[in-house]
Amino acid sequence: MIRSLFLIYGLAVLALLSFAEYRGWSLDRVNQVPNVPKSVRDNPGSYRSVYGFYHHYTGGK
Amino acid sequence: MSTMGPGSAGAPRVESLNCPNCGASLTLRSRANAITAVCESCHSVLDARDPKLKVLQTFAAKASEDPPLIPMGSRGAIRGTEYEAIGFQRRTIEVEGIHYSWHEYVLFNPAKGFRYLTEYDGHWNDVSILRSLPDLSPGGATLAYLHETYRHFQTADAVTSFVLGEFPWRVRVGEMVHVSDYVSPPRVISSEGTGNEVTWSIGEYLSGGDLWKAFKLEGEPPPPIGVYENQPSPMSANVTVVWVTAAVLLMMLVPLMVLFFSTARDEQVLEQTYQFDTSSREEASFVTDIFPLKGHTSDVELATSANVNNSWIYLNYALINEDTGQAYDFGREVSYYHGVDSDGSWSEGSSTDTVTVPSVPPGNYYLRIEPESDPNRGIITYTVRMKRDVPQASFFGLAALALLVPACLITWRSLTFEHLRWAESDYGSPPSDTFLGTVQGMVDSAKKSGDDE
Repeated sequence: MIRSLFLIYGLAVLALLSFAEYRGWSLDRVNQVPNVPKSVRDNPGSYRSVYGFYHHYTGGK
Repeated sequence: MSTMGPGSAGAPRVESLNCPNCGASLTLRSRANAITAVCESCHSVLDARDPKLKVLQTFAAKASEDPPLIPMGSRGAIRGTEYEAIGFQRRTIEVEGIHYSWHEYVLFNPAKGFRYLTEYDGHWNDVSILRSLPDLSPGGATLAYLHETYRHFQTADAVTSFVLGEFPWRVRVGEMVHVSDYVSPPRVISSEGTGNEVTWSIGEYLSGGDLWKAFKLEGEPPPPIGVYENQPSPMSANVTVVWVTAAVLLMMLVPLMVLFFSTARDEQVLEQTYQFDTSSREEASFVTDIFPLKGHTSDVELATSANVNNSWIYLNYALINEDTGQAYDFGREVSYYHGVDSDGSWSEGSSTDTVTVPSVPPGNYYLRIEPESDPNRGIITYTVRMKRDVPQASFFGLAALALLVPACLITWRSLTFEHLRWAESDYGSPPSDTFLGTVQGMVDSAKKSGDDE
């Protein structure tokens, strides 16, 4: 019983791994923004990144 | 087990007598097989072989002192044979000043003879007398019986403290026997010695529920408390199986890894070096040329390296699909600091950074880059490299972890069970020459070294 359950679980892990590899999943997080206007190519400054206005930590060691 | 109703073929016959001490009626269920019988009314131990039922002993006990869970006269089938409960005794051992008592039931079938049930804290055993002697190892740590090795668990002097019914031996309250138990779950072999006479018996663990069904007893059996010496572990048998299965599944990771690493496009789609003048007041953001991302939906790996030296650069990236307007927006910092202080030399950060953008559909894309840094830093040179369809080794590590965690959990549960079992033994821990004992020893050593540190 335990062996069957573990085998099914293990095969599910391998299947999930294969799907993740094929679809290119990643542990990194990015923000998806739909419908970016084509004008951004001509005026890159018009795009407002959600990661803009970065404040670097300067405390250092 | 199954149940046979009273009066079935082969059912025991009974003989009614009177106690010579108090005159109460006495029932002899095993008839000529009984050696001693106990009067339930006055607690006299009688010689059942004597026509006058000579009184051998009278002991003080309350009628309700220790009522048997299986009433005398109850009938039930064990391994296809109907037995009747005819005798009951309580035995007590003393370990480190604490008294532990268990109960023994004498069962009788006219054709098959006697067998026994024992009960301790809701744990039951079906016991029968061994027909041949087990092979005891020198020192007595183990014994072999029918190609099975049993490990010594406990030795103690047991005193009979209460008796009821009839017995195929000369029972006496206060009688002491030297008892040794050897376990190989779900079985236990016990020796009982009085003087030069040693009796060997073998028991097999029974569930109270099965026994209740077999004897058609009312209510529920008492719930088992703790782990008993020969109680089969629900997990031990699975440990080897699960580890073998885990090993097979882990080995399957290798061809999968070879497959994905050999078939991934791993195609470089962009490599460009830029310079960022931090003192410039002009618009810093810009876009790259359009480049195609081919193949099926897969990841994009973007690596940034910069000549930062005790400085930083932050890059707002947006990977934008020229056709659909879908953008993948993310920011990455590249910073590297180093120096020397009272602790010696130190460094933190790195001049390179890598990020993987997940599940990017094929299409024509460009990258919008907006660098930021300390305005007084001057010119920072950085290189952006982008690859399409890069296999992720981290997922293989996570998959290996996902396969190992359940195996470790099952092993841990099994270890815990065995630890609880052997904590009640004369040794306090599992035998060191078993797998679980070895693991337990390693855990104990690790704990000890941790405590020492």
